Amino acid sequence: MKKLLSNDYLTLLCRLIFGGIFIYASLDKIGHPAQFARIVFNYHLVPGMFVNIFALILPLTEFIAGLFLIVGLLYRGSRNLLLTLSAVFVVAILVNVIRGVNLECGCFTVSSGAKKAGIMLILRDFLFFIPGVMLLFSSSYRWTVDRLFFLTSPNR
Amino acid sequence: MAKNWVVQAFIIIVLSAVVALAVNAVRGDSIALVGNWPSKTAAGSGPVTPPSAQPGDPPFIKLDDAAAKFQSPEIGFIDARPPEDFALAHIVRAVNIPFDNLDDSWNKVIDSLDHNREYVVYCNGAECEASLFLGRLLSQKGFKNLSIFFGGWEEWQDNNLPTTKGDSTGEAKGK
Repeated sequence: MKKLLSNDYLTLLCRLIFGGIFIYASLDKIGHPAQFARIVFNYHLVPGMFVNIFALILPLTEFIAGLFLIVGLLYRGSRNLLLTLSAVFVVAILVNVIRGVNLECGCFTVSSGAKKAGIMLILRDFLFFIPGVMLLFSSSYRWTVDRLFFLTSPNR
Repeated sequence: MAKNWVVQAFIIIVLSAVVALAVNAVRGDSIALVGNWPSKTAAGSGPVTPPSAQPGDPPFIKLDDAAAKFQSPEIGFIDARPPEDFALAHIVRAVNIPFDNLDDSWNKVIDSLDHNREYVVYCNGAECEASLFLGRLLSQKGFKNLSIFFGGWEEWQDNNLPTTKGDSTGEAKGK
């Protein structure tokens, strides 16, 4: 299994999918910071005074970490950061589903017609998790910028 | 260089923060770094205003001011939420003009209103910007005395202020 997951082509495919999802997810939020701030506030998980700064930095983190994952720069940091963000998003949605709050997800778009956060959204996020988790068990560092600059090491 | 993934992740976050703040500083639709979002611990402070508020928008008022204006029957309330939400319950005396469903029939409702009367516009609460957008639209249509109660329906309801049910677009009779 480890050998399969460490296949160079499969690892590259997982990097493209997992990184690509986050880059795509960041674009609308970067383009519409005010609307995304409103969605962040509506989750009621970030203190009011930090809502705007969070809404500014989070999409850029998604974009840069997604880009770095694809090109393989600071590879393990970007991979683990995106996995952590995925887990945080699932927990945030889950908390509001439990609270019974009907809110916009803000996952891929900030428009008011966006999907509502709910169980289906959590299942979808779990699907997005799969390529990220596969990367966690891959030992392939081929086609990464890190490898060019000897940033790779056996430990994760 | 940084082989530890925690250090790498930290570098990415710092880089993201620097880029985000730089982009926000130069873009036309930048937002304030600290927004005026309501907080349970900050209750009683100034009115709730959205980060997308711009100079020239109708003034934003807080709950106390909205409740005070409610005491004057000559001041009208405009509910910018969808008709189905309005039908469930709304502020007594409110007229429904759903910003997201605006069409000719709703524009006729707007035209039928007294443009010189004072109105308070609201929608669901801080997660909804329809009140701001409707306020801007009404302002463009010549309404002179507008204010936006951005705390909206949620804040009104949370404080047990007068509400009523029904889908009338005219002024409700009250509880």
